[in-house]
Amino acid sequence: MTAATGYFRPGHSWLHRRHPLTKVLGLAFVIVAAFLLPPIVLVALLAGVVTIAWSAGLARPLARALRIPALLLLSIIVVNALFFPGAADRLVAIGPVGLSREGLSFGLISAGRLLVAFVASVTFLFTTLADDLLEALVARGASHRVAFVVLAAVQMVPRLQARSRSILDAQQARALPIRGSVIQRARALVPLIGPVVLGSLIDVRERTFALEARGFGARRGRTAYRVVADPPPDRLIRIGLVGAIGAVLVIALTGIAR
Amino acid sequence: MQRTPVEPEALPETPAGLDLSGITVRYPGTRADALADVSVAVEPGAIGGLTGRTGAGKSTLALTAAGFVPRVVRARVTGAASVAGIEVLRAPASDVLGRIGIVFATPANQLSASKLSVREELAFGLENLGVPRSEMDARIEATLDRLGIGHLADREPFALSGGEQQRVAIASIVAMGTRVLILDEPTAQLDPFGTTLVADLLEELARDGSAVLVAEQDPAVLARTRRTTVLDHGQVVATADPAVALSPETLEPTGLPSPTIVRLGWMAGLEPAGRFDLDAVSTRLAAAATAGRLRSSVLANEPNGPSATEPWASVRDQAPVSITIEGLSHRYEATALDAIRDVALTIEPGEAVAIVGQNGSGKTTLVKHLNGLLRPSSGRVRIGGEDIATASIDEIAGRVGFVFQSPDDQLFERSVEREIAFGPRNLGLRPDALARAIEMAVEAVALGDVRSTNPYDLDLSRRKLVALAGVLAMDPAVLVLDEPTTGQDPLGIRRVGAVVDRLRAAGRTVVAVTHDMEFAADHFSRVIVMTRGEVVLDGPPAAVFAAERTALLARAGIERPVAARVGERLGLGSTPTEAALLAALSASVH
Repeated sequence: MTAATGYFRPGHSWLHRRHPLTKVLGLAFVIVAAFLLPPIVLVALLAGVVTIAWSAGLARPLARALRIPALLLLSIIVVNALFFPGAADRLVAIGPVGLSREGLSFGLISAGRLLVAFVASVTFLFTTLADDLLEALVARGASHRVAFVVLAAVQMVPRLQARSRSILDAQQARALPIRGSVIQRARALVPLIGPVVLGSLIDVRERTFALEARGFGARRGRTAYRVVADPPPDRLIRIGLVGAIGAVLVIALTGIAR
Repeated sequence: MQRTPVEPEALPETPAGLDLSGITVRYPGTRADALADVSVAVEPGAIGGLTGRTGAGKSTLALTAAGFVPRVVRARVTGAASVAGIEVLRAPASDVLGRIGIVFATPANQLSASKLSVREELAFGLENLGVPRSEMDARIEATLDRLGIGHLADREPFALSGGEQQRVAIASIVAMGTRVLILDEPTAQLDPFGTTLVADLLEELARDGSAVLVAEQDPAVLARTRRTTVLDHGQVVATADPAVALSPETLEPTGLPSPTIVRLGWMAGLEPAGRFDLDAVSTRLAAAATAGRLRSSVLANEPNGPSATEPWASVRDQAPVSITIEGLSHRYEATALDAIRDVALTIEPGEAVAIVGQNGSGKTTLVKHLNGLLRPSSGRVRIGGEDIATASIDEIAGRVGFVFQSPDDQLFERSVEREIAFGPRNLGLRPDALARAIEMAVEAVALGDVRSTNPYDLDLSRRKLVALAGVLAMDPAVLVLDEPTTGQDPLGIRRVGAVVDRLRAAGRTVVAVTHDMEFAADHFSRVIVMTRGEVVLDGPPAAVFAAERTALLARAGIERPVAARVGERLGLGSTPTEAALLAALSASVH
């Protein structure tokens, strides 16, 4: 992950070659289906997105990216399984705490939905260059400035992560304890978050000037250097995806699947 | 202060160059003029320099010349400014775009942050100007070619070194077709190699007929200007040949020290034309010394003179400690390369060690092991005999203070004083000791007049001093400094140097990573040279910067201090500092 390209991983896989909007629609379909369709579909969706990521050569980076969210998902399952409010069907009970069937299934479903959405989003980010998405959106009538600002904000994330690490180092080097009681940890937040915000504001001034110097504020007809390829099959895929999203919505709203 | 042009000359009409006359700027909510009646001109084909302390008005002048003041940054401006044939004070953005360019100090902030290649980075400005796609490639190629950076065309901008990034930033502006280029401290964040690259590029642009105005501190860049203007408190002190502008007598009212080479030339009574020429300076210096006509450099704000600094007084009763590094290697997971390999060093209590070498030589990786920011892949680090492998960073912080290169990764309090108090408070200092620690730290870096100011209202140079003071107030037994002189003006460098001297005098251990060889020679008892993760030279400055080391140093990307090179030319032995040079010179005469 470098600051320049956000989460993008250069490559030439079939997924890299898809038009950015095709991938946006694909991502939307997966998320809509994961949250609106019956939980049993999750298994197929997960198998689908993992296969897609694997076929695009992203198995390894995906596994790495999953390390931290995996903990979160696991905790969702455990907490729900043990502390589900009003659970009746207890599988095991130890005093007031018990493993309940309702809790376990709710936890599994919630975690499964988040997992599918996460894998799909990461796969999208790995294979889509922000600049291509920007050009694709602008070519379809989006405001160039708005699109740029939104994408620049998204691309700030990895940079902020790197800065946060430096800040953590710098404050620890000034003897800031970051372990200990909850109160101690809460106290450590101000010196950790303060520089992220304040330091970024310093950068923003120079960045704004630099963008201005590059003519970003110019009210002229803008041209584009990058030509975003839109191969013939993409149009068909997009039509298919729009139809599929529509179908999911219809199924969910009419309750056919219930 | 009055305007006292040292070398007045009639300036030619400059329709396509830059001509600012009688510019006065006042920012809203301030009581003093940021610029008062300032006139500067640069004709096409020339480089004009702008120097002075931080806060002297250089940036304001650069922003005004580029049309950013008052259009982007609001201010009340009077005077006349004709740049590239445009009346910039009144011109709309559309007139200025693509004709006047400006480049800033931080390379990374100027890249658009989303481009995969340098070629696309250059295209960004053209897109905004609405240049037809069919013309873009030719214009990009022509710019890359003209600025000699064709080899970078397909590289990822963010993977480049600072010097390369800054050249790409300049190229991105030049590609837009600008004929007048203004640069605001373009080399402040660069190492000497990057600085030379940028200076070469500016000469190239001027040769091609552009007018270039560069605000700078580095004599390596200013030496290439046709004229340099010295600013102080928003007023012009002098506009003259750079050798005159940077001479001790011109700089005297500003309090800035004169660069060593210019000062030596001036002391020897050399004509301005030769004051950047090492051979001319050396020859004349020897002649003047023999004839007993060496000018005194008392006026010269001599940085190496006898300092009246007293040893650092202890607040926390720190016993001096040694640092032992045994077989230390570090491998970064991401690159799977050894950043440092099998380093073994012993640093005695009270030693001041400068670690030098090119970018990527492993200097910062090495020092980050001294307080646990990085953990050894193999080997051991002992502070005062104790292995720190299992101690946490905040535990080590009581003994080893670490000052980071960028102050903006740590400043968060609403006043300088509170910011400085943060570290010692974490160490649990009692109120009286805390007050004393803050007082000593504030005084050591001369921040007394801004103690209740918000750190973010200070310039970078002073923000760095605040960060330094914040660690000094923790009264550490070992002080580690990462690039303390980058982004500093010469006065700031002297302040940091004085802090090193005082700690050294008190038996504290200081370790600094630096690109500034004069700083290393002036204030450190030992210099360690690193190349590709290994220590290749280690000894006192006189040994490391000796003439016979020139080839080895060159391979490590290091140029010896001016005093050392002059001493070699005069056969005076190894004279790494100006003080050593002058002493050897006077000894050779008597």
